[in-house]
Amino acid sequence: MDNSIEIESLTKVYNGKFKAVDDVSLKIGRGKIYGLLGQNGAGKTTLIKMLTGVIKPTSGTAMIAGLDLNKDALKIRRITGVVPQEYTTDGDLSGKENLKLVADLYDVPRKDAEERIETLLRMVDLYDVKDRYASAYSGGMRKRLELVCGLMNTPEVLFLDEPTLGLDVTTRENLWSYIRSFEREFHITIILTSHYLDEVDSLANELSIMDHGKIIVSGTSSDLKKSLKGDTITLKLKNDDEFKIVQNFKEAIEVKKMELGDIRIKVNNSDVVLPELMKYLSDHKISPQSINVRKPSLDEVFIEYTGRNINAEQSGKDYEKLMTMGRGAK
Amino acid sequence: MSGLIPLTIRDLKRWYRNPVSAVVGVIQPIFWIVLFGSAFDITRFGVSSTTFFEGAPDYITYLMGGILTIIGLFTGMFSGVNIIWDRRLGILQRFLIAPINRASIVFSRILSSVARISVQIMILFAVAFVIPNGLKIVNGFTLMDGVILVSAVFMVSFIFSSFFSILAVRMTRMESVFGIVNLINLPLMFASYAMFPPDLMAPWLSHVAKYNPVSWSAQSIRMVLIHGTLTASEAHTVLIYMLGLLALALFMLVITYIISNREIRE
Repeated sequence: MDNSIEIESLTKVYNGKFKAVDDVSLKIGRGKIYGLLGQNGAGKTTLIKMLTGVIKPTSGTAMIAGLDLNKDALKIRRITGVVPQEYTTDGDLSGKENLKLVADLYDVPRKDAEERIETLLRMVDLYDVKDRYASAYSGGMRKRLELVCGLMNTPEVLFLDEPTLGLDVTTRENLWSYIRSFEREFHITIILTSHYLDEVDSLANELSIMDHGKIIVSGTSSDLKKSLKGDTITLKLKNDDEFKIVQNFKEAIEVKKMELGDIRIKVNNSDVVLPELMKYLSDHKISPQSINVRKPSLDEVFIEYTGRNINAEQSGKDYEKLMTMGRGAK
Repeated sequence: MSGLIPLTIRDLKRWYRNPVSAVVGVIQPIFWIVLFGSAFDITRFGVSSTTFFEGAPDYITYLMGGILTIIGLFTGMFSGVNIIWDRRLGILQRFLIAPINRASIVFSRILSSVARISVQIMILFAVAFVIPNGLKIVNGFTLMDGVILVSAVFMVSFIFSSFFSILAVRMTRMESVFGIVNLINLPLMFASYAMFPPDLMAPWLSHVAKYNPVSWSAQSIRMVLIHGTLTASEAHTVLIYMLGLLALALFMLVITYIISNREIRE
């Protein structure tokens, strides 16, 4: 298979102790949207920063469009586009001036640059506000400007790091359609990191789940869902004795206790099994505090492979991150 | 050095578009010359300025070399702050992912500081000539004098903006830079010949000031402003000072290039 990116045992250790990225190996095909899904702190951004030459790996290597990360870092920077998590455009320059600056930094010839700036600004509907300072743009407009900054050098690989963090639902869906159009029009490989399940599910052809710096599982969204082999019933029980009783429920394929104390029961068909489970619980005088039934979803895939819900402790971290971005923006 | 020109232009655009920093840049030299220049009117005590201030017709003329140097020093000192500011805003990351020589991120700041100082020098001269009892060029001013004056200010600015940019290469807190600037600007200014002649100083301070590059620049500019065409011994002194500044500037150039290329972090 024609790979755009081949990562080999890439590791980043901070202060000799903390492994932000731990022995990651991955092959990503050309011309695809590839998702890296994980909670904040899973190592996604560190991985992207290593692949784009912003930080040096502690060990391991990667080939990007046939170039060796450890030998050709400058050449790799020339053929990749990056849209980092934070705003990187200058609020004191207009939208057009920001793109012109990026064009100059990538040595795009003046005539080509002017044409490309106009095309890109029209593509993301910013042409009419091109002379307005970026600081006067709304969050969605600023993010669109960031997106096209990443495309200014017509890259072979585009890295999008949490591209819709902190944006409202409509703006997010709007940005998704731009990202799809980039893949269609430019035939580039797009690496997308996100902790939004729906974003990765909707955009990525293939994905990897990252947790604690490691790749836990990789595949297409539908393959990963199929790998769950059934539906999940989640119960909240009062004590371990009740858990032991539930473990003996015959229709269960698997009964697991999760980190936060929830009991996950894997069953073939929840529509049929749920009434039987309710009767079983009633017969044993167990009244669960809550019951939740889920069909296979990426959310379930994440819980299955990491043992945690991706949204646990997420909102607080999102808020913290937004505050940091806000401080940065002004 | 790839990236140097676009980044310098960007920095200058930010400067002239920000009315506060542009106005402060214009007013600051005026304050220096009008307020500080008028603080020592020794003629009121019947003392001749020429004997007291190394042949200068008045204190403002004597002080010009010092003020020009200090403007170079101050503007240079704060060029590191902009690097930290860009880091905090996230803009620095855009430069780090670009295929440019990373030293250009630092050198663009230094270059734009030097450009800003040029504007300040012109304003300072205009004001110094216009105000009553201001700058008096009594012994002529040659093209060579002009070259010495401008090179001395540029070199001082380069030396100190390089020094502070190196500090800022990995710093994340503005307060740290401000703290260091505050800590060392006083000794740099007062343990030098920028404000007062060596004969007025305590001997130990005068001795220390001899090795301060601020003194080298201030004395070189002062000599060409006061004396115009220099005698052989004056020219020799100015040459030594200028070579000292050049050697230090070249040293800082190499160090800044190496450190900024290797160490600059997001």
